[in-house]
Amino acid sequence: MKVLTIAGANLRRFLRDRSNIFFVFVLPIGIVLLIGAQFSGDFEPTVGVFEAGTEIGASLAEELDSKGVVTVRRFDSEDEMLRAVERGVLAAAVSVPGDADTEVAAGRQVGVGFLTRPDGLGPQLRVSVIEAVSAVTLEPNAIAFAVSKGADPSVAAEASSASLAALPSIEVSTRSTGESLFEGVSGQFDIGASSQLVLFMFLTGLTGSAALIQSRQLGVTTRMVGSPTSSTSIIVGEGLGRFVIVLAQGVYIVVATVLLFRVDWGNLLATAAVLVAFSAVGAGAAMLLGTVFRNDQQAGGVSVVAGIGLAALGGSMLPLELFSPTMTTISRFIPHAWANEAFAEILRRGAGVGDIVTQLGVLAAFAAGLLAIASWRMRSVITRP
Amino acid sequence: MEAILQARGLKKRFGDLEAVRGVDLTIAPGETYGLLGPNGAGKTTSISMIGGLLERDGGEVVVNGAQMTTTSLAPKADIGLVPQDIAIYPDLTARENLRFFGRLYGVRGLELDRRSDEVLEVIGLTDRADDRASDFSGGMKRRLNIGIGLFHKPMLLILDEPTVGVDPQSRNAILESVEHLSDEGMAVLYTTHYMEEAERLCDRVGIIDQGEVKAEGTRRELVQLVGQLDRIRVSIAGSADGAIAGIRSLGGVSDVVSADGTIEILATNASEVLAPTLAAITTAGAAVHSVTIDEPDLEAVFLHLTGKALRD
Ligand SMILES: Nc1ncnc2c1ncn2[C@@H]1O[C@H](COP(=O)(O)OP(=O)(O)OP(=O)(O)O)[C@@H](O)[C@H]1O
Ligand SMILES: [Mg+2]
Repeated sequence: MKVLTIAGANLRRFLRDRSNIFFVFVLPIGIVLLIGAQFSGDFEPTVGVFEAGTEIGASLAEELDSKGVVTVRRFDSEDEMLRAVERGVLAAAVSVPGDADTEVAAGRQVGVGFLTRPDGLGPQLRVSVIEAVSAVTLEPNAIAFAVSKGADPSVAAEASSASLAALPSIEVSTRSTGESLFEGVSGQFDIGASSQLVLFMFLTGLTGSAALIQSRQLGVTTRMVGSPTSSTSIIVGEGLGRFVIVLAQGVYIVVATVLLFRVDWGNLLATAAVLVAFSAVGAGAAMLLGTVFRNDQQAGGVSVVAGIGLAALGGSMLPLELFSPTMTTISRFIPHAWANEAFAEILRRGAGVGDIVTQLGVLAAFAAGLLAIASWRMRSVITRP
Repeated sequence: MEAILQARGLKKRFGDLEAVRGVDLTIAPGETYGLLGPNGAGKTTSISMIGGLLERDGGEVVVNGAQMTTTSLAPKADIGLVPQDIAIYPDLTARENLRFFGRLYGVRGLELDRRSDEVLEVIGLTDRADDRASDFSGGMKRRLNIGIGLFHKPMLLILDEPTVGVDPQSRNAILESVEHLSDEGMAVLYTTHYMEEAERLCDRVGIIDQGEVKAEGTRRELVQLVGQLDRIRVSIAGSADGAIAGIRSLGGVSDVVSADGTIEILATNASEVLAPTLAAITTAGAAVHSVTIDEPDLEAVFLHLTGKALRD
């Protein structure tokens, strides 16, 4: 098939240029790190601790800090800490009640508050906090337990390790916050990361216009038009080459963020479908640019401006939920908006492929439309100079 | 036999410039046709319209019985067009370039391998088959450019000034391969502003200037058209006076002058009168020392038709 022949040559030439290895494998690492960083707020999530002046609280903060899994920030005001969680500054917060020391000494159950944004990290952090709470309350609890059974306090301290199994449980109660902005939000991650992926994939797509412009400058495209190959086959072939590159990068980023940062991309099939559809849009846009501009510097400049501008209009900078009605209407004409919307459905509401057919359909229509205009443009720039 | 190419009334205008104004071309199967004209005459523009690369403002192109337009596929398969400006992928090897375009022309499978080897041989790049074209010399790139055009064994091979910027050796190799292809029955449309190439290769030549074919025919027809005659100069020992009247009476001879050991004959076709002339001289008892024949060339024809030299 001629489309495959053209796509194959396009990819072969792409891979033959050493600098493209950077483009394929190294450049996306920046995006991977960016997404990873957003996902976790930092590589070590920050957890706030409100000690309430208690000894238990102080040891708990120390214990959490010493594990090296999280960065601990101490707060003097519980309210301030709560707001920090809401704003996403903290991944979670632990709040120790003011009577914790006396309660534990009396052998009573202590309620330690655990507050988190409802993102993927919550459960993991909760486990860390429970471990830390157990560690710091183990001894006082054991002593209190022994004393309550009539033991001498000093003897009880020595014997404490013997009676671990019978300890009263420590309850860590969990509350979520940060839901004020988005309904069903699942944390910092999906607000930024998927839209950054969308922005990056489209930019990668647009840079493919340079390859088509180069083919035109080499006279090879004209030569293809002279062969029994339709202009649609030529554009779809060149576009397919670019599609594979964009899709490969999208998949690479998703897989890398899953492996390195345990990012949760929701329903994998649905995410893959959005990647495929949006890669096709990126490739189609590249073909259009490649037929509109004569040299790759022009196209390169426009790629950056269009890549950022469309991303902004399509909700990759500011979430679509915050758009004014006019801007929302405009965004309906931007493919990014549909991709962002599809990701929002997948990540926030656990949507599957069946739930995002509209978005996928619109993206496919964008891709087909762009390719159709590009192939018409290409024939006319070559045969009607 | 039906013509492989029939172009009628081709017209193309670029803004105010009428680049091609009513060009007619007919090429028979197996024929080699030369389009001879100076820079800017409209050769490339005409060829681009014939190859379906350029939308025409007027006229008609029929290739092997099928109408050619910029969107038609079947007639394009019958043509191999070698563009004036080299059009290859520099980052692919010679073989990869050949195979890529071969596929676009519908060559598949084993034929693709076989044809690659054959064409590499023809264009003399067998040794460099797997080197990237970017490493090639200008002449090698030009040969690859040609190889792509003939890969699918087109019925009509169109070569647009294929020898420009090529050293004499490569140039000769190119001309030889064109002759070879023509011998194998491929029709060739060859544009050039080198009249020696047109004379050497072409069965018929069209003289194009300012977007018009001014005259067309075999070299001989063109020369006769402008009234130019062949000149045969025979140097002799002894007297051949007895032969003069006989030579003058030969068909196609317009004048005979004899002076100290040389006889000069003006004739429309030197090769037709040469043998009887020499026979008459020896019969008259003179010995022939040497014979020179001056045939008026296309340069002279061109000058006559356009009032200017082919190359300025
Ligand atoms: N794309 C174009 N836009 C504007 N003018 C053009 C274009 N292509 C050709 N021309 C003009 O048309 C005329 C014929 O050009 P063409 O390339 O056909 O000449 P040519 O006979 O092939 O010359 P050469 O021997 O230099 O290749 C020239 O005056 C040229 O400037
Ligand atoms: Mg030309």
